[in-house]
Amino acid sequence: MSGVLVFGAIAEGKLLGASLEVAAAGQGLARAMGVTLFGGLIGSDCASAAQLLAVAGVAELFVADNARHVPYVADLHIAAAEAIIRKCEPAVVLLPQTAETSEWVPALAARLNAAMATACTRLVYDGERVVVTRPVCGGAVQGEYAFNRPLQIATMSPGACAPIAPSDACPICPVAVPNVEPRVTVLEQVVDEANAGPRLNSARVVVSGGLGIGSRENWRLIDETAAALGAAIGATRAVVELGWVPSSRQVGFSGQKVSPELYIAVGISGAVHHLAGIAGAKTIVAINKDPEASIFRAARFGVIGDAKEIVPAFVERVKELRANQA
Amino acid sequence: MHIVVTLKQVYDPNTPPAHLKIGKDGKTLELPAGMSQIINGYDANAVEEALKLKEKYGSTVTVLSVGDDSTRNCLRRAIGMGADRGVHISGPIGLNGDSHVIAKLLSAAIRKVPPVDLILCGRQASDTDAGQVPFLLAEELGFPVVSPVKHIHSIDAGSVIVDRITDGGRQRVRASLPALFGISNEINKPRPASLKGVMLAKKAEIPTWGLADLGMDEPQPALILRRLYIEPPSETRAELIAADSARAAGKALADKLHQEGMI
Repeated sequence: MSGVLVFGAIAEGKLLGASLEVAAAGQGLARAMGVTLFGGLIGSDCASAAQLLAVAGVAELFVADNARHVPYVADLHIAAAEAIIRKCEPAVVLLPQTAETSEWVPALAARLNAAMATACTRLVYDGERVVVTRPVCGGAVQGEYAFNRPLQIATMSPGACAPIAPSDACPICPVAVPNVEPRVTVLEQVVDEANAGPRLNSARVVVSGGLGIGSRENWRLIDETAAALGAAIGATRAVVELGWVPSSRQVGFSGQKVSPELYIAVGISGAVHHLAGIAGAKTIVAINKDPEASIFRAARFGVIGDAKEIVPAFVERVKELRANQA
Repeated sequence: MHIVVTLKQVYDPNTPPAHLKIGKDGKTLELPAGMSQIINGYDANAVEEALKLKEKYGSTVTVLSVGDDSTRNCLRRAIGMGADRGVHISGPIGLNGDSHVIAKLLSAAIRKVPPVDLILCGRQASDTDAGQVPFLLAEELGFPVVSPVKHIHSIDAGSVIVDRITDGGRQRVRASLPALFGISNEINKPRPASLKGVMLAKKAEIPTWGLADLGMDEPQPALILRRLYIEPPSETRAELIAADSARAAGKALADKLHQEGMI
């Protein structure tokens, strides 16, 4: 066993941007270990996603393209991943952390008796073992763990690495998926109305609200800002616990981790729990009443004041600027 | 129906981060005196769900927890809520509790209790946030596993229908029993222990099982904790956009982001 295998992830038929971040992490690791970087992709009708991953610095891309992979069922993803792993026999397997990989990858690792670490933010080779860093204790503490099995698997948090620059295209090798019978049957697949619009895990811009918004009624400030910017909507844990928005909107240590180009935090104080979810954001903008709020330490730009007054003027100006552009 | 719920005792995640300190060994968390340990939040949801199934189907609920002696407290709390029986398994706890080790110990304990139809685990623990034990345990036992689950719809004729949270929605799936589910907090609101429950829990006998009782050698961790550290807070400050009024500041922010090519 040698080699590093990076799996891309597909969301709504498209290659998830985080796949290219994981490819960059994999490339760094493969170079440090002096081994080959392979790519893997599991999906249905995923030729265009495969084209994008084939130029992500990998020497060969193994693709398990099968109609049975949508809707997602863990057992079939596991079978496909096992088939791909048999093809290239890697020592290390890396994947983006998603709602799906949070389920099927630990199950795969269990089956293969592999060591696994979830939601890693850093990955290094110390000459002997792969060592990962992952936030623990709500993001207040960082934990450094060394793998203790021959096969080592990690899922990476979004934004842990800059995406890899495009390379020459590598050969694509189709992989047949064994015809396993999944032990779990999907009866129905539903997209929540409340989750319409851009997804947190792939949006270029995310607008999030916290308690500083003041009330559930004021949440429209977030909705309007997001609509004006074509942004995904996020929220703090406190807001989710009050029931202002569904838990699928929660950004933070125990919620979704996001890595947009622009993250606009409105009425968010910046608890470590929340900051742990936006470490991968490129630029953070904060609007908050409290000049001492921690969010102003994480943000690049800030406005101190009442969101109820600032946000409508901001949205109005954004619309004007966009209209001028068009 | 016999339901097993696995519990992890964790430090209260609402502890202010400034109160967290790393021990001298660099591998343990030192908590301020008097800070209580609690049942991991998702595990409390799993207990509540098991109790709802108990009320509906007349099930028996066994709670298991790996840890040091203090772990009995969270088992007692679950019994206070209405669980029938608790077993303490001596083993690692906290951030050094390797998922493989915990799953090996739990699976050995589950083989020792009466045959199990359903295992409910919290989807992940609030201290490590790893979310691996449910899958490792299911693999050890050969059970199908679904996680994170936000609703148990129905149980009949040897199969269960549950709603699993997906990215942006849910999928309704059927799994045959015995099965294991990773429970998410959307599923319910855990009940407090009743006064009668607390009295029962005080008297409840909670056996401790060690490696010898479980007939196993010490399991080998898959991940070895090298060190814990706290990153110093950032010294940088945001560039503040100031203006004569809040409205003007809002407009100025939009202009700034536009200049920077961000919107």
